[in-house]
Amino acid sequence: MSSADNPAVRPAVLFETADDWDAINRLYRKNRWSDGLPIVPPTRERVEAMLRFAGRPRDALVARVAPAFGPATVEGIAINAVMAGCDPEYLPVLIAAVEAVSAPEFNLQAVQATTNPVAVMIILNGPLARTLEVNSTFNCLGEGYWANATLGRALRLVLRNIGGALPGDMDRATQGQPGKYTFCCAENEAENPWEPLHVERGYRADQSTVTVVGVEGTINMNTHTDKGDEVLNMFAQTMIHPPSNEYIFGGEPWLILGPEHAATLARAGYSKADIKATLWELSRMPASILPPKDLERVRNARRPELGEFGAEAMLTISPRPEDICIVVAGGPGTHSTYAPSFGMIRAVTRVVGQ
Amino acid sequence: MAGTVFLYDPRPAASESAVQLMQTLDDLAGKVVGFIDNAKPNFNHLVDDLAALLVSKYGVKSVIKRQKPAATEPATDAVLAELVGQCDLVITGSGD
Repeated sequence: MSSADNPAVRPAVLFETADDWDAINRLYRKNRWSDGLPIVPPTRERVEAMLRFAGRPRDALVARVAPAFGPATVEGIAINAVMAGCDPEYLPVLIAAVEAVSAPEFNLQAVQATTNPVAVMIILNGPLARTLEVNSTFNCLGEGYWANATLGRALRLVLRNIGGALPGDMDRATQGQPGKYTFCCAENEAENPWEPLHVERGYRADQSTVTVVGVEGTINMNTHTDKGDEVLNMFAQTMIHPPSNEYIFGGEPWLILGPEHAATLARAGYSKADIKATLWELSRMPASILPPKDLERVRNARRPELGEFGAEAMLTISPRPEDICIVVAGGPGTHSTYAPSFGMIRAVTRVVGQ
Repeated sequence: MAGTVFLYDPRPAASESAVQLMQTLDDLAGKVVGFIDNAKPNFNHLVDDLAALLVSKYGVKSVIKRQKPAATEPATDAVLAELVGQCDLVITGSGD
Protein backbone atom coordinates (compact mmCIF):
# COMPACT_ATOMS: atom_id res chain seq x y z
CA MET A 1 0.00 0.00 0.00
CA SER A 2 1.27 3.47 -0.76
CA SER A 3 0.20 6.91 0.38
CA ALA A 4 -1.58 7.30 -2.96
CA ASP A 5 -3.91 4.52 -1.80
CA ASN A 6 -4.18 5.94 1.68
CA PRO A 7 -4.73 9.69 1.82
CA ALA A 8 -4.21 9.66 5.61
CA VAL A 9 -0.50 8.96 5.01
CA ARG A 10 1.43 12.04 3.95
CA PRO A 11 5.07 12.74 3.12
CA ALA A 12 7.33 13.62 6.04
CA VAL A 13 7.73 17.30 6.90
CA LEU A 14 10.90 18.92 5.61
CA PHE A 15 12.03 22.15 7.26
CA GLU A 16 14.90 24.58 6.83
CA THR A 17 17.18 25.40 9.71
CA ALA A 18 20.70 26.65 10.40
CA ASP A 19 23.39 24.19 9.34
CA ASP A 20 24.81 23.97 12.85
CA TRP A 21 25.26 20.49 14.37
CA ASP A 22 24.95 21.71 17.95
CA ALA A 23 21.82 23.74 17.24
CA ILE A 24 20.25 20.87 15.32
CA ASN A 25 20.85 18.49 18.19
CA ARG A 26 19.42 21.00 20.65
CA LEU A 27 16.29 21.18 18.50
CA TYR A 28 15.86 17.38 18.25
CA ARG A 29 16.54 17.08 21.98
CA LYS A 30 14.01 19.79 22.85
CA ASN A 31 11.36 18.14 20.67
CA ARG A 32 12.05 14.67 22.16
CA TRP A 33 12.88 13.36 18.69
CA SER A 34 16.04 11.64 19.96
CA ASP A 35 16.60 8.76 22.36
CA GLY A 36 18.84 10.91 24.56
CA LEU A 37 21.96 10.54 22.45
CA PRO A 38 23.12 12.95 19.74
CA ILE A 39 21.64 12.20 16.31
CA VAL A 40 22.93 12.31 12.78
CA PRO A 41 20.95 15.17 11.20
CA PRO A 42 18.44 13.67 8.72
CA THR A 43 19.26 15.93 5.81
CA ARG A 44 17.49 15.60 2.51
CA GLU A 45 20.70 14.23 0.98
CA ARG A 46 21.27 11.57 3.66
CA VAL A 47 17.65 10.40 3.53
CA GLU A 48 17.77 10.19 -0.27
CA ALA A 49 20.96 8.11 -0.04
CA MET A 50 19.28 5.79 2.47
CA LEU A 51 16.18 5.42 0.30
CA ARG A 52 18.22 4.14 -2.64
CA PHE A 53 18.51 0.84 -0.74
CA ALA A 54 14.84 0.59 0.24
CA GLY A 55 13.70 -1.70 -2.56
CA ARG A 56 10.23 -0.18 -2.20
CA PRO A 57 8.62 3.15 -3.00
CA ARG A 58 9.36 5.83 -0.41
CA ASP A 59 5.65 6.32 0.29
CA ALA A 60 4.93 2.61 0.82
CA LEU A 61 3.19 2.03 4.12
CA VAL A 62 5.11 -0.66 6.02
CA ALA A 63 2.98 -0.77 9.17
CA ARG A 64 1.08 1.28 11.69
CA VAL A 65 3.12 1.38 14.86
CA ALA A 66 1.38 1.14 18.24
CA PRO A 67 0.45 2.73 20.55
CA ALA A 68 -0.10 5.90 18.47
CA PHE A 69 -0.58 3.73 15.37
CA GLY A 70 1.50 6.21 13.43
CA PRO A 71 2.02 5.26 9.79
CA ALA A 72 5.55 3.92 9.24
CA THR A 73 6.33 4.62 5.61
CA VAL A 74 9.60 3.62 4.00
CA GLU A 75 10.52 7.31 4.08
CA GLY A 76 9.75 7.66 7.78
CA ILE A 77 11.81 4.58 8.62
CA ALA A 78 14.69 5.91 6.51
CA ILE A 79 14.65 9.24 8.35
CA ASN A 80 14.95 7.50 11.71
CA ALA A 81 17.62 5.18 10.34
CA VAL A 82 19.71 8.18 9.30
CA MET A 83 19.30 9.72 12.74
CA ALA A 84 20.52 6.47 14.36
CA GLY A 85 23.64 6.40 12.19
CA CYS A 86 22.67 3.43 10.02
CA ASP A 87 24.52 2.74 6.80
CA PRO A 88 22.08 2.96 3.85
CA GLU A 89 22.49 -0.78 3.23
CA TYR A 90 20.80 -1.50 6.58
CA LEU A 91 17.43 -0.04 5.57
CA PRO A 92 15.80 -3.28 4.31
CA VAL A 93 16.64 -4.93 7.66
CA LEU A 94 14.96 -2.14 9.53
CA ILE A 95 11.90 -2.25 7.28
CA ALA A 96 11.55 -5.98 7.98
CA ALA A 97 11.97 -5.33 11.71
CA VAL A 98 9.20 -2.71 11.69
CA GLU A 99 6.94 -5.15 9.87
CA ALA A 100 7.77 -7.83 12.41
CA VAL A 101 7.10 -5.78 15.54
CA SER A 102 3.75 -4.72 14.08
CA ALA A 103 2.48 -8.28 13.64
CA PRO A 104 -0.47 -8.90 16.01
CA GLU A 105 1.24 -11.75 17.88
CA PHE A 106 4.07 -9.42 18.91
CA ASN A 107 1.52 -7.44 20.93
CA LEU A 108 3.35 -4.17 20.34
CA GLN A 109 0.71 -2.02 21.98
CA ALA A 110 1.37 -3.74 25.29
CA VAL A 111 5.14 -3.79 24.73
CA GLN A 112 5.19 -0.07 24.10
CA ALA A 113 2.82 1.06 26.83
CA THR A 114 3.54 -1.32 29.71
CA THR A 115 5.25 -0.60 33.03
CA ASN A 116 7.43 -3.67 32.29
CA PRO A 117 11.04 -3.00 31.15
CA VAL A 118 10.59 -5.02 27.94
CA ALA A 119 12.96 -4.13 25.11
CA VAL A 120 12.92 -5.36 21.53
CA MET A 121 15.82 -7.64 20.64
CA ILE A 122 16.61 -8.03 16.93
CA ILE A 123 18.22 -11.26 15.76
CA LEU A 124 19.56 -11.55 12.21
CA ASN A 125 20.06 -14.80 10.34
CA GLY A 126 21.26 -15.68 6.89
CA PRO A 127 23.86 -14.31 4.48
CA LEU A 128 22.95 -10.63 4.84
CA ALA A 129 23.99 -10.65 8.50
CA ARG A 130 27.50 -11.54 7.38
CA THR A 131 27.49 -9.03 4.50
CA LEU A 132 26.46 -6.23 6.82
CA GLU A 133 28.97 -7.41 9.48
CA VAL A 134 26.37 -7.80 12.20
CA ASN A 135 28.34 -9.13 15.13
CA SER A 136 27.49 -12.67 16.22
CA THR A 137 30.60 -13.51 18.24
CA PHE A 138 32.61 -11.73 20.98
CA ASN A 139 30.48 -9.20 22.89
CA CYS A 140 27.61 -9.65 20.43
CA LEU A 141 25.14 -8.14 22.89
CA GLY A 142 27.57 -5.41 23.86
CA GLU A 143 29.06 -2.38 22.16
CA GLY A 144 31.54 -1.98 19.37
CA TYR A 145 29.80 -2.94 16.12
CA TRP A 146 28.19 -0.35 13.89
CA ALA A 147 25.40 -2.53 12.51
CA ASN A 148 24.38 -3.94 15.91
CA ALA A 149 24.45 -0.54 17.56
CA THR A 150 22.68 1.49 14.91
CA LEU A 151 20.04 -1.05 13.81
CA GLY A 152 18.79 -1.50 17.36
CA ARG A 153 18.88 2.23 17.94
CA ALA A 154 17.00 2.93 14.71
CA LEU A 155 14.19 0.58 15.67
CA ARG A 156 13.92 2.33 19.03
CA LEU A 157 13.68 5.70 17.28
CA VAL A 158 10.89 4.35 15.07
CA LEU A 159 9.07 3.05 18.16
CA ARG A 160 9.36 6.51 19.74
CA ASN A 161 8.89 8.87 16.83
CA ILE A 162 6.37 6.90 14.76
CA GLY A 163 4.87 4.71 17.49
CA GLY A 164 4.67 7.60 19.93
CA ALA A 165 6.06 5.72 22.93
CA LEU A 166 7.76 8.46 24.92
CA PRO A 167 8.80 7.64 28.50
CA GLY A 168 6.35 8.97 31.04
CA ASP A 169 3.76 9.57 28.36
CA MET A 170 2.62 6.51 26.43
CA ASP A 171 5.71 4.48 27.42
CA ARG A 172 4.88 3.75 31.06
CA ALA A 173 8.01 1.67 31.83
CA THR A 174 8.75 1.88 35.53
CA GLN A 175 12.50 1.54 35.03
CA GLY A 176 13.10 0.31 31.49
CA GLN A 177 16.46 -1.26 30.72
CA PRO A 178 19.64 -0.43 28.78
CA GLY A 179 18.46 -2.68 25.94
CA LYS A 180 15.94 -0.02 25.03
CA TYR A 181 18.80 2.01 23.51
CA THR A 182 19.83 -0.82 21.22
CA PHE A 183 19.58 -4.62 21.28
CA CYS A 184 20.67 -6.41 18.14
CA CYS A 185 22.90 -9.31 17.18
CA ALA A 186 23.25 -12.03 14.58
CA GLU A 187 23.14 -15.74 15.24
CA ASN A 188 26.56 -17.40 15.23
CA GLU A 189 25.49 -19.86 12.58
CA ALA A 190 29.05 -21.09 11.99
CA GLU A 191 29.23 -22.45 15.55
CA ASN A 192 25.61 -23.53 15.87
CA PRO A 193 25.61 -27.35 16.01
CA TRP A 194 21.93 -27.47 15.08
CA GLU A 195 19.81 -25.83 12.38
CA PRO A 196 19.87 -22.01 12.51
CA LEU A 197 17.03 -20.14 14.15
CA HIS A 198 15.43 -19.04 10.87
CA VAL A 199 15.52 -22.57 9.44
CA GLU A 200 13.86 -23.87 12.60
CA ARG A 201 11.20 -21.20 12.07
CA GLY A 202 10.47 -22.35 8.52
CA TYR A 203 12.80 -20.37 6.29
CA ARG A 204 15.57 -21.51 3.96
CA ALA A 205 19.16 -21.29 5.12
CA ASP A 206 20.00 -18.96 2.22
CA GLN A 207 17.29 -16.48 3.14
CA SER A 208 18.12 -13.50 5.32
CA THR A 209 15.71 -12.89 8.13
CA VAL A 210 15.11 -10.65 11.07
CA THR A 211 13.49 -12.00 14.23
CA VAL A 212 12.16 -9.64 16.88
CA VAL A 213 11.81 -10.72 20.49
CA GLY A 214 10.42 -8.78 23.45
CA VAL A 215 12.60 -9.49 26.47
CA GLU A 216 12.58 -8.27 30.04
CA GLY A 217 16.37 -8.31 30.27
CA THR A 218 19.40 -10.56 30.22
CA ILE A 219 20.65 -12.87 32.94
CA ASN A 220 24.12 -14.33 32.58
CA MET A 221 24.59 -18.08 33.10
CA ASN A 222 28.20 -19.08 33.69
CA THR A 223 28.92 -22.77 34.23
CA HIS A 224 32.18 -24.57 33.55
CA THR A 225 30.73 -28.06 33.52
CA ASP A 226 31.30 -30.15 30.40
CA LYS A 227 28.29 -32.38 31.09
CA GLY A 228 25.16 -31.61 29.14
CA ASP A 229 22.68 -32.56 31.85
CA GLU A 230 24.47 -30.32 34.33
CA VAL A 231 24.40 -27.42 31.89
CA LEU A 232 20.65 -27.80 31.46
CA ASN A 233 20.07 -28.02 35.20
CA MET A 234 21.93 -24.74 35.67
CA PHE A 235 19.83 -23.15 32.92
CA ALA A 236 16.60 -24.43 34.45
CA GLN A 237 17.49 -23.11 37.90
CA THR A 238 18.05 -19.69 36.30
CA MET A 239 14.78 -19.82 34.40
CA ILE A 240 12.88 -20.35 37.66
CA HIS A 241 12.64 -16.62 38.10
CA PRO A 242 9.37 -15.97 39.95
CA PRO A 243 9.01 -12.21 39.28
CA SER A 244 9.25 -12.59 35.50
CA ASN A 245 6.17 -12.53 33.32
CA GLU A 246 6.87 -16.03 31.98
CA TYR A 247 5.07 -17.99 34.68
CA ILE A 248 2.31 -15.40 35.00
CA PHE A 249 1.24 -15.49 31.38
CA GLY A 250 2.79 -18.69 30.04
CA GLY A 251 5.54 -17.13 28.00
CA GLU A 252 8.22 -17.73 25.44
CA PRO A 253 11.57 -17.83 27.27
CA TRP A 254 14.70 -17.26 25.20
CA LEU A 255 18.11 -18.84 25.67
CA ILE A 256 21.06 -17.22 23.93
CA LEU A 257 23.53 -20.07 24.07
CA GLY A 258 27.24 -19.39 23.95
CA PRO A 259 28.93 -21.68 21.39
CA GLU A 260 30.77 -23.65 24.12
CA HIS A 261 27.57 -24.55 25.93
CA ALA A 262 25.93 -25.38 22.59
CA ALA A 263 28.81 -27.68 21.72
CA THR A 264 28.67 -29.35 25.14
CA LEU A 265 24.96 -30.05 24.70
CA ALA A 266 25.39 -31.30 21.12
CA ARG A 267 28.23 -33.62 22.16
CA ALA A 268 25.96 -35.01 24.86
CA GLY A 269 23.45 -35.88 22.14
CA TYR A 270 20.86 -33.20 22.78
CA SER A 271 18.86 -31.85 19.86
CA LYS A 272 17.13 -28.49 20.20
CA ALA A 273 13.86 -30.33 20.82
CA ASP A 274 15.52 -32.43 23.55
CA ILE A 275 16.81 -29.29 25.24
CA LYS A 276 13.41 -27.65 25.17
CA ALA A 277 11.64 -30.73 26.52
CA THR A 278 14.19 -31.15 29.31
CA LEU A 279 14.16 -27.48 30.34
CA TRP A 280 10.36 -27.36 30.26
CA GLU A 281 10.22 -30.13 32.86
CA LEU A 282 13.17 -28.96 34.98
CA SER A 283 11.93 -25.37 35.15
CA ARG A 284 8.54 -26.18 36.67
CA MET A 285 8.03 -23.77 39.56
CA PRO A 286 5.92 -24.34 42.68
CA ALA A 287 2.90 -22.05 42.46
CA SER A 288 3.27 -21.56 46.21
CA ILE A 289 6.32 -19.33 45.61
CA LEU A 290 4.02 -16.64 44.25
CA PRO A 291 2.19 -14.21 46.54
CA PRO A 292 -1.60 -14.64 46.41
CA LYS A 293 -2.13 -11.55 44.25
CA ASP A 294 0.36 -12.81 41.68
CA LEU A 295 -1.11 -16.30 41.79
CA GLU A 296 -4.45 -14.75 40.97
CA ARG A 297 -2.86 -13.13 37.93
CA VAL A 298 -1.69 -16.57 36.81
CA ARG A 299 -5.20 -17.95 37.22
CA ASN A 300 -6.73 -15.07 35.25
CA ALA A 301 -4.22 -15.33 32.44
CA ARG A 302 -3.70 -19.10 32.16
CA ARG A 303 -7.07 -20.59 33.16
CA PRO A 304 -7.87 -21.69 29.58
CA GLU A 305 -4.50 -23.45 29.42
CA LEU A 306 -4.12 -24.85 32.95
CA GLY A 307 -7.67 -25.09 34.26
CA GLU A 308 -8.22 -24.68 37.99
CA PHE A 309 -5.19 -25.28 40.20
CA GLY A 310 -4.05 -24.73 43.76
CA ALA A 311 -0.86 -23.48 45.38
CA GLU A 312 0.54 -27.01 45.27
CA ALA A 313 0.66 -26.95 41.46
CA MET A 314 3.95 -26.95 39.60
CA LEU A 315 3.70 -24.20 37.00
CA THR A 316 5.29 -24.62 33.59
CA ILE A 317 7.22 -21.67 32.20
CA SER A 318 5.39 -21.80 28.87
CA PRO A 319 2.35 -23.55 27.47
CA ARG A 320 4.45 -26.03 25.47
CA PRO A 321 8.11 -27.15 25.47
CA GLU A 322 8.50 -25.81 21.94
CA ASP A 323 7.71 -22.31 23.19
CA ILE A 324 11.22 -22.22 24.68
CA CYS A 325 13.44 -20.58 22.05
CA ILE A 326 17.13 -21.16 21.40
CA VAL A 327 19.63 -19.06 19.49
CA VAL A 328 23.42 -19.52 19.44
CA ALA A 329 25.50 -16.37 19.71
CA GLY A 330 28.72 -15.14 21.26
CA GLY A 331 32.41 -15.94 21.28
CA PRO A 332 34.49 -18.42 23.28
CA GLY A 333 33.69 -18.74 26.97
CA THR A 334 31.43 -20.59 29.34
CA HIS A 335 28.63 -18.04 29.29
CA SER A 336 25.07 -18.16 28.02
CA THR A 337 22.21 -15.75 28.53
CA TYR A 338 18.69 -16.27 29.74
CA ALA A 339 16.33 -13.65 28.31
CA PRO A 340 12.89 -13.89 29.91
CA SER A 341 10.26 -12.65 27.53
CA PHE A 342 7.51 -10.14 28.16
CA GLY A 343 5.24 -13.16 28.53
CA MET A 344 2.19 -12.11 26.56
CA ILE A 345 4.13 -11.98 23.33
CA ARG A 346 5.45 -14.19 20.58
CA ALA A 347 8.59 -13.56 18.53
CA VAL A 348 8.08 -12.76 14.86
CA THR A 349 10.39 -13.48 11.92
CA ARG A 350 10.32 -11.71 8.58
CA VAL A 351 12.43 -12.15 5.46
CA VAL A 352 14.54 -9.11 4.64
CA GLY A 353 13.81 -7.55 1.29
CA GLN A 354 10.35 -8.97 0.67
CA MET B 1 27.56 32.59 9.71
CA ALA B 2 26.38 29.08 9.03
CA GLY B 3 24.25 28.38 5.99
CA THR B 4 21.00 26.51 6.17
CA VAL B 5 20.08 22.88 5.72
CA PHE B 6 16.85 21.02 5.03
CA LEU B 7 16.01 18.39 7.66
CA TYR B 8 13.17 15.96 8.17
CA ASP B 9 10.84 15.80 11.14
CA PRO B 10 11.09 12.10 12.17
CA ARG B 11 7.42 11.84 13.07
CA PRO B 12 4.60 10.99 10.67
CA ALA B 13 3.06 14.06 9.10
CA ALA B 14 -0.34 14.95 10.49
CA SER B 15 -3.22 13.52 8.54
CA GLU B 16 -5.25 15.91 6.40
CA SER B 17 -8.31 13.72 6.42
CA ALA B 18 -10.93 14.43 9.09
CA VAL B 19 -11.60 11.74 11.68
CA GLN B 20 -15.27 11.00 12.17
CA LEU B 21 -15.95 10.49 15.87
CA MET B 22 -18.91 8.54 17.16
CA GLN B 23 -21.91 10.67 17.96
CA THR B 24 -22.15 11.37 21.67
CA LEU B 25 -25.17 10.26 23.68
CA ASP B 26 -27.63 12.86 24.94
CA ASP B 27 -28.36 10.90 28.08
CA LEU B 28 -27.91 7.43 29.55
CA ALA B 29 -31.55 6.56 30.26
CA GLY B 30 -32.47 3.22 28.74
CA LYS B 31 -29.01 2.68 27.32
CA VAL B 32 -26.83 -0.43 27.56
CA VAL B 33 -23.35 0.26 28.93
CA GLY B 34 -20.40 -2.10 28.51
CA PHE B 35 -17.22 -2.31 30.59
CA ILE B 36 -13.97 -3.92 29.51
CA ASP B 37 -12.23 -4.76 32.77
CA ASN B 38 -8.49 -4.82 32.14
CA ALA B 39 -7.93 -7.37 34.95
CA LYS B 40 -5.86 -5.02 37.06
CA PRO B 41 -6.44 -5.55 40.79
CA ASN B 42 -9.68 -4.03 42.11
CA PHE B 43 -10.96 -2.73 38.81
CA ASN B 44 -13.78 -5.28 39.06
CA HIS B 45 -14.91 -3.67 42.34
CA LEU B 46 -14.84 -0.23 40.76
CA VAL B 47 -16.93 -1.51 37.85
CA ASP B 48 -19.48 -3.06 40.22
CA ASP B 49 -19.95 0.25 42.03
CA LEU B 50 -20.10 2.25 38.79
CA ALA B 51 -22.62 -0.17 37.31
CA ALA B 52 -24.92 0.18 40.33
CA LEU B 53 -24.63 3.96 40.14
CA LEU B 54 -25.33 4.06 36.39
CA VAL B 55 -28.52 2.08 36.86
CA SER B 56 -29.80 3.75 40.04
CA LYS B 57 -28.89 7.36 39.29
CA TYR B 58 -28.85 7.61 35.47
CA GLY B 59 -31.46 5.08 34.45
CA VAL B 60 -29.14 2.85 32.48
CA LYS B 61 -31.05 -0.18 31.24
CA SER B 62 -28.28 -2.72 31.81
CA VAL B 63 -24.53 -3.09 32.18
CA ILE B 64 -22.40 -5.75 30.49
CA LYS B 65 -19.06 -6.46 32.20
CA ARG B 66 -16.34 -8.45 30.47
CA GLN B 67 -12.85 -9.02 31.86
CA LYS B 68 -9.72 -9.44 29.74
CA PRO B 69 -7.44 -12.37 30.69
CA ALA B 70 -4.68 -9.86 31.44
CA ALA B 71 -3.99 -6.15 31.07
CA THR B 72 -1.34 -6.89 28.45
CA GLU B 73 -3.71 -8.82 26.23
CA PRO B 74 -6.32 -7.27 23.93
CA ALA B 75 -9.98 -8.08 24.45
CA THR B 76 -10.96 -11.06 22.34
CA ASP B 77 -12.76 -10.58 19.05
CA ALA B 78 -15.79 -12.35 20.52
CA VAL B 79 -15.97 -9.88 23.43
CA LEU B 80 -15.57 -6.92 21.10
CA ALA B 81 -18.29 -8.25 18.77
CA GLU B 82 -20.62 -8.82 21.71
CA LEU B 83 -20.11 -5.33 23.10
CA VAL B 84 -20.38 -3.64 19.71
CA GLY B 85 -23.60 -5.53 19.04
CA GLN B 86 -25.27 -4.87 22.35
CA CYS B 87 -23.97 -1.64 23.85
CA ASP B 88 -24.69 2.02 23.26
CA LEU B 89 -21.54 2.98 25.17
CA VAL B 90 -18.42 1.04 26.17
CA ILE B 91 -15.95 2.09 28.87
CA THR B 92 -12.48 0.54 28.80
CA GLY B 93 -10.79 0.10 32.12
CA SER B 94 -7.40 1.21 33.26
CA GLY B 95 -7.70 0.65 36.96
CA ASP B 96 -5.06 -0.69 39.32
